[in-house]
Amino acid sequence: MLNSIKDIVRKSSIHVCIVNCGGCNGCDVECVALLSPRYDLEQYGIYVHNNPREADVLLLTGAVTEQWRENLKRVYDKAPEPKIVVAVGNCPQSGDVFNQEGGHVYAPASNFIPVDAAISGCPPRPSEILEAILAVGPQAIADRGREKK
Amino acid sequence: MSSLIWYIYDFARKAWADGFTNAHSRSELAEKPDRFRDFPTVNKQYCIGCGACTVSCPSPNAIKIVREKDDETGEGMTFPVINPGACIRCGFCAEVCPTDPKTLECGENHLIHPEFNIIPSKRQYIIDDYLCIKCKKCMKKCPVDAISIVNDKLQVDQLKCIACGECVDVCPVNGAMKAVFVENLQDQKDLILLTVNYLEDYINSKEEDLRALQKDRLLQYDLPLDGIWDEALKIIPDDEISFEIISNAVNRLKIRIIDWDSSKCEKCQLCVPECPTKCISFDEENDTIVRDKDRCLRCSICYQTCPFSVIKYFIAKFSLENDRTIHITVKASNLNGELLME
Repeated sequence: MLNSIKDIVRKSSIHVCIVNCGGCNGCDVECVALLSPRYDLEQYGIYVHNNPREADVLLLTGAVTEQWRENLKRVYDKAPEPKIVVAVGNCPQSGDVFNQEGGHVYAPASNFIPVDAAISGCPPRPSEILEAILAVGPQAIADRGREKK
Repeated sequence: MSSLIWYIYDFARKAWADGFTNAHSRSELAEKPDRFRDFPTVNKQYCIGCGACTVSCPSPNAIKIVREKDDETGEGMTFPVINPGACIRCGFCAEVCPTDPKTLECGENHLIHPEFNIIPSKRQYIIDDYLCIKCKKCMKKCPVDAISIVNDKLQVDQLKCIACGECVDVCPVNGAMKAVFVENLQDQKDLILLTVNYLEDYINSKEEDLRALQKDRLLQYDLPLDGIWDEALKIIPDDEISFEIISNAVNRLKIRIIDWDSSKCEKCQLCVPECPTKCISFDEENDTIVRDKDRCLRCSICYQTCPFSVIKYFIAKFSLENDRTIHITVKASNLNGELLME
């Protein structure tokens, strides 16, 4: 009973934090487009903060750079349980065009923190990001909340 | 309390109710635009394993060429595999793919179509070097500096041109700066031929008027364009382009009309050897002179030769304005008058 009430609450209001760990800003711009009236993220009960302490979902953009290797773990630890991590764009998955020979990016991001979902594209369309968050987010958070610690 | 009243008032508005009911649904938002370039699709069977796609790819991990295991049916196929986690959807792989049909297909790509113009304009702006007086007004007016001097001639750089049309407005010489339709040249020729034939047939059908026409007098007709408009739209199904081509052609057109009154003919056969295209011949069986209209040049030599005024020679001019009526003016040629004066 208590759990199902918690599920409803967790599913209906998702708080998102965008973490740019050294990308080109393309995916961040697409995330900002989600807040525009056309896509209107908040009509689905998703709120964007720039504070990992109140986030349920971390939207990860950018290939992981030298400075972000440590910070990524710190940001991840600050987010309260239950939390999921979504990699937006190709960079957190493979490093994309920055992962050249002799380059200093440390992709994929899953080497540092557990990544639950990935959205490919360089950058992905806002509608693709929205679809992915809606498809994965609510249920994943509800499931994560029920896990035994 | 006042805020509560305000809320009730706000939600009771029609605009709010409309906005609430017409809100975008999820499926509409997920639609991709028509020209969207998505991840490449691979048609394995066409691949020749050249590796051009992997070389052109700007992302290091996006394409790998793999080969299937050999089995009893023969060698395994070689083909590229796209990793969507690294592909940036640039379409370079599809562009360089040398096979025909392409192994890799990736949306609409501008370099695959050499005629691609980023501006959706049907016109191409070109300078007629023969008419251009090199006043450079268009160069100064051009907002993107697309016009430059190359070898003492003004030229439009088609890659820079944004098809704004300001150069045509500013050009002081009529016709030196042209905005032409480049896509359908053969259709345009067909359209002009159709118009000219229609006009000539119409004037030839007014045989009695032509024969009664005095010197120094004009014949005037108004011919509606609608007579050929349906056929014209079959050739080029675009109102704007068709009308512009027809009006351009008609306004410059000058047709020479030959009227052949065989009742006056005395069969002297003087015109037969004079005709430069041999389109006049003598039919011995029926004892008549035959003129092949299609080969006739309208050069007027027969008219000048004939001693019995069988042949009459007229000049027709036309104008077509926005009222969709072709105004025709026909006058008798003054060639004979000049000859008599001498």
